[in-house]
Amino acid sequence: MRFKVAVVLLLMILSTTISTANPGGKGDSVRSRDCAGSCHGSSSTNGVSDAELDIQYPDEVYAGLLMEIETTISFAEVSSNNMVGMTLLVNEDGAKDLPANDGWEVVTDPNGGTNNYVEIIDSFSINSIVDRTWTLRAPSSPGVYELYLAVQHGTPDGGVAMAGISDAKQVVVSEVPENLPRLAPEWEPVNTRLIGEETEITLQTLNTDSATVELKNGGEVITIPVVDNKFTIPAAVNPGAVEWRVIMEGEGPTQHSPWFRITAQEPGWEVDEFALYLQGFALFVLGIGLVVLQRSKAEDIEPSKYDNTADVASQFGRIQNTSPAMVELPSAGPPIPEQGLPEGWTMEQWEYYGQEHLDNLARGGQQ
Amino acid sequence: MISAGTFHVISTELTIGMFALAGVAFLLCAIKKGPSSRESVAHWALLGGLIATPFAIVSGVNAIPSEGIDNPILANKLLLSMASAGLAVGILLRRKWGGEVDIRHSSIGMISVALMLATAGMGGEYSRGETLLLFIPKETVMLFPTWASIVLLVIGMAIVGKSAVEHRG
Repeated sequence: MRFKVAVVLLLMILSTTISTANPGGKGDSVRSRDCAGSCHGSSSTNGVSDAELDIQYPDEVYAGLLMEIETTISFAEVSSNNMVGMTLLVNEDGAKDLPANDGWEVVTDPNGGTNNYVEIIDSFSINSIVDRTWTLRAPSSPGVYELYLAVQHGTPDGGVAMAGISDAKQVVVSEVPENLPRLAPEWEPVNTRLIGEETEITLQTLNTDSATVELKNGGEVITIPVVDNKFTIPAAVNPGAVEWRVIMEGEGPTQHSPWFRITAQEPGWEVDEFALYLQGFALFVLGIGLVVLQRSKAEDIEPSKYDNTADVASQFGRIQNTSPAMVELPSAGPPIPEQGLPEGWTMEQWEYYGQEHLDNLARGGQQ
Repeated sequence: MISAGTFHVISTELTIGMFALAGVAFLLCAIKKGPSSRESVAHWALLGGLIATPFAIVSGVNAIPSEGIDNPILANKLLLSMASAGLAVGILLRRKWGGEVDIRHSSIGMISVALMLATAGMGGEYSRGETLLLFIPKETVMLFPTWASIVLLVIGMAIVGKSAVEHRG
């Protein structure tokens, strides 16, 4: 028994992988600058990333309008899963550092979501440069703003969680010029769609007389007409993202929107939740029933109708508790008197001659 | 205030810790070794784990980013935890009704604990992509038709009702 338990424990220990922090990542989310779940108590398991980090802005950034920035991670040595957690922040204090704290809005992150922390997998190495683009809505107040790019990743040998943050990257957010053709502030792009479905997008523009849409499909750019502020992106055959942007013309200078990404996904896993909850509740009740149905081994032995053990035992007990004078032995003769058998008599004699002896006594004869 | 995710971690650790303690105590009951308090520890720890379980489930549902159950792991977690909780409630009821803590009782207690630990293991797979449960098909959901669940439910309720009446009698 002990050997088997030891073998099982050994197998469990051997099946673990030696790893640090959250090697599979924690998932994209809106996250402040913390260790992203990779904190370690010992400084020997923390390190400073050698990666070079940069943020590139467009030439003009207008208050409240959409813009595209490019973040670059260069020369990062990461773990074997080639994953890096990338965070867009407004300061390096670790508090009130979300882009939203300065009025930024993440419209599309590199993974097609709306988070400031994303996990990306790419060919990171000491010789490579990895770019990702983000679509942001600039703060509504003109001014000078700062953004930071922070990263977390593992190391090729494992065992150490690396973290790094870029220098402050300043950007000037300008007042929107009058008559500038642009997308309406309340308009939000669509980020995801299902495979096999055409996507019709309705634009909301300001100061725009005409608009066309450019769609990146592989290496080629297709122009799609916009009719009544609507255009259609053809259905995707495979999972993946396509990029598009709108070119707006009006009285003011012609404007190009950022490249928007729309990611085609396979339909998500679906389940009949009513059936699932019902089955869960049924298992709960059935579990209770199956357990309370169990009887102990002693209860399992059902009494047989031929089993007279109890009767015999009770009779035996009664016999034992009865005084000798009241004992009625199963014999053919008369009951034995209180003073016992006559002197010299055997039981067999009493059975045959006992009644005659009692009759003599009753007639006044000798014992 | 704390987020649903943090509260889920707290309630989950409470649940798993108590279930694990109950599992060890039931193991001692099964092999009839250890201190005489093993029976009390097993059942009280199981009760503690059961009390913490609803908090873990509710906070877990609130902590997931999506609405509804859109992942087979979540569906399996629900089914496993409900089955585990049912067995645990049954164990406690049977004990309260004077059932003997024999090898069968202890084994069912350990099965209940194992199911709850499997549920926690699937949580690790869902949130971090890692788990010790390497060989369990977590992406496969055995979902009965609705009529089958109703039959199971009726059977379960009938058994529980019959046992309750017998106990009262």
